[in-house]
Amino acid sequence: MTKRNIFSLFEILFWPVVGFFSVGLLTTFLDLDPNRTGFILIGIISMSVIQVCQIDVAEALLYDLWAKSMKHTFIAPIHPHQLLLGSWIIGVIRSLVVFLLLALFSLFVFDFDFLRPGVFPLSLFLLGLFLTSASVGMTVCILILVFGYKAEVAAWSLSSLMALICGIYYPISILPTPLPEIARGIPLTYFLAYLRSFYGFQEGFQSLLRWGFGLAGFYLIVEVILFRIVLHRAKRTGMILKLSE
Amino acid sequence: MALAIKAEGIYKSFYTGWLKRSEKQVLRGIHLEVEKGEIFGILGPNGAGKTTLLSILSTLLFPDRGQIEILGMDSRREAHRIREKVNLSSGNANFLWSMTVEENLHFYGMLYGLAGHRRNQKVKELISLLGLEEHRGVSFDRLSTGMKQRLALAKSLLNDPSVLFLDEPTVGLDPSVSVWIRQQIQMIQKERGMTILLTTHNMREAERLCDRIAFLKDGRILTAGDPDSLKRMVRLGDLIKIEFEGRVEEDELGRIEGVINYSVTNGLCEVIVDEGERRLGPLITKLSEDGVKIKRVTLGQTDLEEVFLEFSKSSNSDMGLYLQELDHDQAKYL
Ligand SMILES: Nc1ncnc2c1ncn2[C@@H]1O[C@H](COP(=O)(O)OP(=O)(O)O)[C@@H](O)[C@H]1O
Ligand SMILES: [Mg+2]
Repeated sequence: MTKRNIFSLFEILFWPVVGFFSVGLLTTFLDLDPNRTGFILIGIISMSVIQVCQIDVAEALLYDLWAKSMKHTFIAPIHPHQLLLGSWIIGVIRSLVVFLLLALFSLFVFDFDFLRPGVFPLSLFLLGLFLTSASVGMTVCILILVFGYKAEVAAWSLSSLMALICGIYYPISILPTPLPEIARGIPLTYFLAYLRSFYGFQEGFQSLLRWGFGLAGFYLIVEVILFRIVLHRAKRTGMILKLSE
Repeated sequence: MALAIKAEGIYKSFYTGWLKRSEKQVLRGIHLEVEKGEIFGILGPNGAGKTTLLSILSTLLFPDRGQIEILGMDSRREAHRIREKVNLSSGNANFLWSMTVEENLHFYGMLYGLAGHRRNQKVKELISLLGLEEHRGVSFDRLSTGMKQRLALAKSLLNDPSVLFLDEPTVGLDPSVSVWIRQQIQMIQKERGMTILLTTHNMREAERLCDRIAFLKDGRILTAGDPDSLKRMVRLGDLIKIEFEGRVEEDELGRIEGVINYSVTNGLCEVIVDEGERRLGPLITKLSEDGVKIKRVTLGQTDLEEVFLEFSKSSNSDMGLYLQELDHDQAKYL
């Protein structure tokens, strides 16, 4: 039960690679020490992975929104969670490709080794990113079913907002209140802190993985329930029809 | 005969506006029974609620009130199983723009759980059934309206549905393309014996295609039946047009049995009678006796459009005068 369009590899990789090099070269220009360079590279790569993966999840409904073909998806005998799961699996595969490529660039261009924490911790970190992406993508889907076309902006802005708050390029401790407190409610914060802890950065809070996965799981459960509710509502208000004409 | 679709007391309102909510009643108590293997038409003007009704029957929309059974399954509790057995194609269908005809069919095939060889087979079969071979590699946004409609039909056959909903399948098409689509619908229905519920605002389409027809207006079904009995029920009267030379005594005309109304302008006499075929002979005889030279006679039969108008217009208007304004392009030449 998977989702459409096998975008050409070029299209998936273009923006992540451009973003990666512009930030990577910035660190070279600023002449940062290797650990700080690593800090920032972890940030930009995580962001790319999340962008690619979350948009794939959101595309479970985004494409139908753009094409106005919503009703043809919902008249098919497929459960929405199968649809979302399928989209997520595609997203995981594609963002894994992005990660591998950017990790190779990091190693050879900026001499930063993503495997230093070991394969298992790195896998946990990636899993964390994928779950976070699922969460963001599902939020977009939920917003689409409630707000229709107005929700489209969420697809692009949600993950950027998250980047701002969760400390993609800086530790969250430098943020003004209440942003650090909000950041602690977002799983991404913990996964970033977890990976960075292997490179000598301590955010000053503990049980990173437990918090990260706990929160991610909590949000996913809430979102599954919310999704059912808003789908029910969309069938009452005729939103599915409005998004089909 | 077993029922394919059974709907009782369907009501639906839409609410618009966030702050000041206003209610719009779209369906007000629809009863509908469609037998298995029938082509059933829902005929109604734009905004009558046709799409709304079809969406409710196809589980895309919840009614406010009412009971629906599709193939004996309850539309609330067994919606998922219903979706396996039904499909929908709409006239102004939209599919994924950047994908080709073939890719779109494969994509929806996936949603219907088709995989591998079976899906290839199915897509190939539908592409050839609907004559889409030359367009299989064309992306959706570059297809003509007619081709889009064909693709919509092809998509709606992916799961070999037992009940097929067609929402204005020929809207916006050239007449010749519409005819072709109608033939396909008829052929497919005959071959597969499926039940088809279609909506249209085109009387001719309903008349040609459907075994039974229901008139939908302002959210209510005015009447339902097969096209002929609907026409008989209304008994609007038939229009006889006579082109002549000489002088017609207008008063005489009014006294002939069965004449409801008449008008005479130079060289053309239009008479509305209760039963065209029965009254035609005596009318011509009378005129000939009066020394009128008759050049041509046309008998226009009531068609569904008039039946529909008759049902939907407000009461106590003058039936005869009203009829004269209609155009009788289905005239039979004698
Ligand atoms: N999702 C919706 N929200 C609000 N109003 C709607 C919605 N869908 C349809 N309507 C209204 O319901 C009426 C009937 O619409 P529709 O069923 O599409 O008619 P038809 O298909 O017969 O042209 C129209 O006046 C339309 O504006
Ligand atoms: Mg309609």
